[in-house]
Amino acid sequence: MDSWVRFNSQSQAKEKVFRAAQYSCMLLGSTLTKSRAASDLQRIVSDLEAHMSLTRKLLRLGNSVEALQAAKRAIHLSDGVLRLCITIAHLNRAMYFACDNVLWAGKTGIISKLDHHKWSQRSFRYYLFALILNVTRNVYEVCLLLDGEDRCRSTKSSSPSDVLPDDRLSSSSAVPATSPPALMFARLCRLMGQVGAVLYNNPPLLLDLLKNSCDIFIPLDKLGLYRTGPAFVGTCGLLSSVLSIVTMLHPWLKLKP
Amino acid sequence: MDAVVKFTSQSQGRDRIFRATQYACALSIYLLRNNPERKDLVNKLKSLETNISAGRKLLRLGNTANSIVAVKQAMRLSDRVLRLCITAANINRALYFICDNLLWARNVGLILSIDKERWSINASRCYLYSLVMNLTQDLYVILQLMLQKGRDNHFKQKMNQHLNESPEVAEVTIPELDTFVFLLLETLRSEPTVALDTVKNICDLFIPLDKLGIYKSSAGLVGFCGLVSSLIGILTLARPTLRIKP
Repeated sequence: MDSWVRFNSQSQAKEKVFRAAQYSCMLLGSTLTKSRAASDLQRIVSDLEAHMSLTRKLLRLGNSVEALQAAKRAIHLSDGVLRLCITIAHLNRAMYFACDNVLWAGKTGIISKLDHHKWSQRSFRYYLFALILNVTRNVYEVCLLLDGEDRCRSTKSSSPSDVLPDDRLSSSSAVPATSPPALMFARLCRLMGQVGAVLYNNPPLLLDLLKNSCDIFIPLDKLGLYRTGPAFVGTCGLLSSVLSIVTMLHPWLKLKP
Repeated sequence: MDAVVKFTSQSQGRDRIFRATQYACALSIYLLRNNPERKDLVNKLKSLETNISAGRKLLRLGNTANSIVAVKQAMRLSDRVLRLCITAANINRALYFICDNLLWARNVGLILSIDKERWSINASRCYLYSLVMNLTQDLYVILQLMLQKGRDNHFKQKMNQHLNESPEVAEVTIPELDTFVFLLLETLRSEPTVALDTVKNICDLFIPLDKLGIYKSSAGLVGFCGLVSSLIGILTLARPTLRIKP
């Protein structure tokens, strides 16, 4: 009970729970449409989804300021690539929240004549840019870790006691022929294995990469760049919300900076 | 800016800002109701108030747990009267949140067999009882502080000074009442937390009293009282030293 109260008292945590509920409604709605369930139930589910979406927009009203503050903090990072990716991602998020606030004002009637479609597309575009930069940052961190591992392995193999890996390497080169595609395939498998090992040893990075990969399908679908349908979008949204909630419950799983 | 971000990152902080906005809209609607030029603005304010109210109902969905935790903490208090007041207040608040959640489910269409009017009255009644218990707690704390202060020597000197200040007025006033009022004001001045909490609860009291029809006041007064209590709530959250403890 105490941990729920503490979790709930964070504004972001509530927003993530409602996000999970909203995408569950989307997923449920598409399942009900496919199974041709009663239109009443479909209407309730879609109304609930709209209600949660509007309330989340209300809850996000001050978030541009937080995103700008996060961008200010990111400017002081030492690594150039990380600094660039994270700062621009936060700036894009700030623009996304600003567009989102305008949409909320339009939906509640404060701004009477608003082109909802135009502003919606604008907000999703900024969201997509932010996600692309986040994924770029994840890939960069994976590359850094892979480099580190390679260097570690090469320093280990340069020591004279460690003869076996050399033997294995020399034996593999002694294997006859191996056409270039097969060699490429072997190299690719080895690379995949290394990437898998790196991600397995870095759960925060793995979670963040999974979350961003799931999230990216949402704006891609909404902008019409890669249409997947409400069922897939709902599943991706639900999965990324659950991962965010897990990150909040266990702060050590949050990727830093 | 940092302080604003920190304040809004708390769920309660945002809810209090929304509450203040909601009651500010209600007050503005009442003040502009007879102005034909502002009809458009009044409609926008009504729409904003409805949306914020609906959003706040959804945001209150998990709050029963908060009240139950507060009840558990109150059980550890040593003072029996305080323990009773805080426990009763929080139980009523938990019941209010349950009624409120059921009303949300009815509004959204999840449960259709609920009598909206009846449960709305139930919710207002539970809210009223919790406010009455909070006020009882405040009055008890004020009485305790007054008794403590009355025994203080430094205060006795101050009291004598006040009573001897204007001898021509002293004949007209009732000395006991004058003493009591002076003691009350001095106590409230030295303990702003209790004073703020009392004012907040008195302001909040008008809302369920109006809804239940026990003391019908205008929509303007309800809006004004709601706004004042929300602003006090924001102040106590921003400055934790001003919050009443326990």
